[in-house]
Amino acid sequence: MERFFGWVTRHPLAVILVIIGLTAAAGYQARTGSRMETDLDEYMPADHPAFVYSDQAEEWFNIRDGIIIAVENPEGIYNSATLQKIKDLTRALQQDPDIEKADVTSLYTADNIVGSDLGLDVRSFYRKAPTSPEKLQELSEHVRSNDMVRGRLVSEDETVAVVIARIGDDVFSQDFYQRIMKLADSFEGPETIYVAGRPIVEGTLAHLAPKDMQKMVPAVVLIILLVLYLVLRGVRSTAMTFLVVAISTIGSFGLMAAVGIPIYSVTTMMPVMLIAIGVADGIHLYNHLGLFRDAHPDIPLKDAVLEMLHQMWRPVVMTSVTTAVGFLSLLTSDIYPIKYFGVFTAFGVLLAMVLSLTLIPAASVLFGVKGRRLAKKTDDDVDGMARRLTTGILRSRWAILVSTAIILGASLFGASRIWINSSFLDKFERDSEIVKTDAFVNEHFGGTTTLNAILEARDKGAFKTPEILEEVRAMQTEVEGRELVGSSFSLVDYLRRMNRVMNEDREAFDTVPKSSDLVAQYLLLYEMSGDPDNLWKVVNYDYNRLNVTFQLKKDDSRTMNAAISSIEAHRPRLAELGVDVNYAGSGYKALVFTDLILEGQVKSIILSILIVILLLSLMFRGLRFGLIGTVPIVLTAAIGFGVMGLLDIPLSTTTALLASITIGIGIDYAVHFIDRYRINLEKTGPGLETMVATMGHSGRAILFNAVVVVSGFLVLLLSAFPPNRALGALIALGMFVSFVATVTVMVHLLQGGEK
Amino acid sequence: MNNAIRIVLALAALGLLFPSAAFAEPSGLEIMTKVYERPTGTDQEADLTMSLIDRSGSERVRKIHQLLRDFGAVEKKIMFFQTPADVRNTSFMNWSYDDGRDDDQWIYLPALKKVKRISSDSKSDYFMGSDFTYDDLGDRHPNKDKHRVLREETLEGETCYVVESTPKNSDYMYSRTVTWVIKDKWIGLKREFYDEDGDSLKTLSVKSFKKIGVFWIIVHSEMHNTQKDHRTIMKLENVLIDKGVDKSQFTERMMKRGM
Repeated sequence: MERFFGWVTRHPLAVILVIIGLTAAAGYQARTGSRMETDLDEYMPADHPAFVYSDQAEEWFNIRDGIIIAVENPEGIYNSATLQKIKDLTRALQQDPDIEKADVTSLYTADNIVGSDLGLDVRSFYRKAPTSPEKLQELSEHVRSNDMVRGRLVSEDETVAVVIARIGDDVFSQDFYQRIMKLADSFEGPETIYVAGRPIVEGTLAHLAPKDMQKMVPAVVLIILLVLYLVLRGVRSTAMTFLVVAISTIGSFGLMAAVGIPIYSVTTMMPVMLIAIGVADGIHLYNHLGLFRDAHPDIPLKDAVLEMLHQMWRPVVMTSVTTAVGFLSLLTSDIYPIKYFGVFTAFGVLLAMVLSLTLIPAASVLFGVKGRRLAKKTDDDVDGMARRLTTGILRSRWAILVSTAIILGASLFGASRIWINSSFLDKFERDSEIVKTDAFVNEHFGGTTTLNAILEARDKGAFKTPEILEEVRAMQTEVEGRELVGSSFSLVDYLRRMNRVMNEDREAFDTVPKSSDLVAQYLLLYEMSGDPDNLWKVVNYDYNRLNVTFQLKKDDSRTMNAAISSIEAHRPRLAELGVDVNYAGSGYKALVFTDLILEGQVKSIILSILIVILLLSLMFRGLRFGLIGTVPIVLTAAIGFGVMGLLDIPLSTTTALLASITIGIGIDYAVHFIDRYRINLEKTGPGLETMVATMGHSGRAILFNAVVVVSGFLVLLLSAFPPNRALGALIALGMFVSFVATVTVMVHLLQGGEK
Repeated sequence: MNNAIRIVLALAALGLLFPSAAFAEPSGLEIMTKVYERPTGTDQEADLTMSLIDRSGSERVRKIHQLLRDFGAVEKKIMFFQTPADVRNTSFMNWSYDDGRDDDQWIYLPALKKVKRISSDSKSDYFMGSDFTYDDLGDRHPNKDKHRVLREETLEGETCYVVESTPKNSDYMYSRTVTWVIKDKWIGLKREFYDEDGDSLKTLSVKSFKKIGVFWIIVHSEMHNTQKDHRTIMKLENVLIDKGVDKSQFTERMMKRGM
């Protein structure tokens, strides 16, 4: 190793040229070979049983996510112009090349099944938009008396109508999104047009999130550069420290492109991670170099750089390896984008390590480092501060112990309240256009979020049995009674409508038919007179699979789980009837997906902590240091989750990943500190002096490190995008806690052990 | 100008003005009218098997006994479901009028013990949940469309006229259909349907036709909705023609009585 460093310091130009060449190659690769993956389904582990089942059920019943376009006319929709607009909008959507005609539903396409004294009348509500007041009146009465349309396609107050276009999983693209938005826009005025529905929310998210990151990353970089400069007090050292981060990021993206892995939305967090972690090496190296040169002004620069490498390569390698291991633990995740994220971030961290040990010494030798950085300050100043701080910390043993216990207790309480949120809508600002639109549609209709309960029976024809259908009805009624469940829909609703219509439209017959033969005959009649395709969205050919659709007002996990628990309450009774319940649909998949992420995170946190303990024990030759070194990261993780729980910040795909970075960063602080402590221990033995020297050296560097990254990430608080704000705040918090825990709790543990 | 030339010119003009007369080829309308009016007897009794097959291959089979009789201005038809068991004796009656007014339809549900009138606003409704509309089953009068002979072509060994039909009323569910009509037999052997946006929607293929008495009767046909990948197969068996289906068969009372 020493020979390699010797070579580096002797041939600085060659080192720099090689790095420039490799960076250019990686940069070229990243620019030309990178591919964005925006299809959220690509994130799902395709072989997970819940996804396999859901995909299958989606296929059985043609379950698809709907884009909801609402047309609002405050004067009421029953006028010729608005009805014409609904028709035109329906036709326009039907003509979109990516939408199947039969997948567009509106008042214009709906069947109006009407009972009369004589029989059954199946008509469309209108073909040509009616103009005469009598016809308009008649149309409005038809809608009012039809439960299957009122409140579903036309709002109860008759001022809003919706056109729903269901689209396949593979249809959504940015082009499609833009096209739909433009189409909706062209129908604006005098009616107001709203576009909602899960595909739109996902689309807006996929559109906004990277855009916001693109805006925020330069600001983060700028602040980090500025604070780095203030800390390192040299343009060259600042530039080099930052170049290490930048090149390792380029290298990681270049490698991803080279091996053909696309960029997923989680990958966009990679630069942020690498910035937070990568600056540490530079700070510690320059910190050591500066302190050493202050102490030994006569030693030539090249020798000082060699001394720096000699002293610092171990902690730099150790911190990088432990951090990389932390990220590699993400390989335990079931989700491929997260696995890739772990692997390539780990690669970036190791690349930053290599660059720190080559580029920084080479550039220092070649370009020099600012001479006497701490000209005004003497060693005594640094030493004095370190001494005051160390003695202060050591004296406040009880205060630290008690406050740690209190904070930890509060954190555990907070962590117990933490909840996972699979909501997409909650990622937006509360007063953003999309949230307001969603609220508007939810206010007037059943709900924009769909949950499908799939009922299966062994025997063919089971869902013609009145007893089973009655139980399904009871379940629907009960679930609908929950606050955030708007409406539900199943075969039962068709049968109730048919029963009523065939019995002179008497309300008393709005019930499940009394015999299975009657059910079968109603269904035959519906097939003969209505659109049989509608039937196959709620039941299968053999009548042993049923799709019950619930419309929810919110897409968060609490609402979804509340609805599911209401459905589950009926499981035993359904089981007695030989019916099994499962779930399907994109909302449900997102719920399972989020659970998987969390489960994966917990697994990977535990695994990485164990590996870190092992690595540290090996590096420092003793289990004691391994355990002590993990204390700050355990505290950081606990406090991070605790704060999230106390502030009601749910775990989401973004925030769940924070645990990895917390460990990655926290461990660095501890490793640097312990390594320096052990070096000093050999020189001065256990006691105050050793701790003071460690504090003045490593403590100082990790303070710098924390200040740089905390200030950089606080910039994210200005983001327009709530998840990015949470990310910034939580990383800043993690850095701060890691720092504090290292210089207080860990100091006590180290000191205590030596007594 | 001499007389010979005059005569030639006059003939040429005649030929241009009346190409069909000159070459004795039937027009599109004539062909489709012949198909529409192809005699199939005054009454018919048969067993109909209707199979509905969805895209995953699931199949439902319905067996129906049907009686029909041509009363001149009105054609009456009555159908009794035999299987599946839970719809046994459900019956359906249809009166179709030559003057183009809407069909009259009744349904009898044995579990409800009531005969009900069904009315619907469109002949383009699908027949009993199948891929056939009433129009597809031969109910649409050729006067409602404009016809054009595209070419002659041999299909499955039969010489066919290929006729394109476009509706006069643009609101119709098909923007056009193309029919392969067997010369001399006037049977539509195959028909392609295009939806209102001009996209291919369905294909009807006649798999088998039989001469029963003096009449050509289609006994096996398949309609494939290519947009939904859904098929309907119709098979006629035990076909009796002009064996005297009673005029009084077509009443609500007979619907209730079953077969």
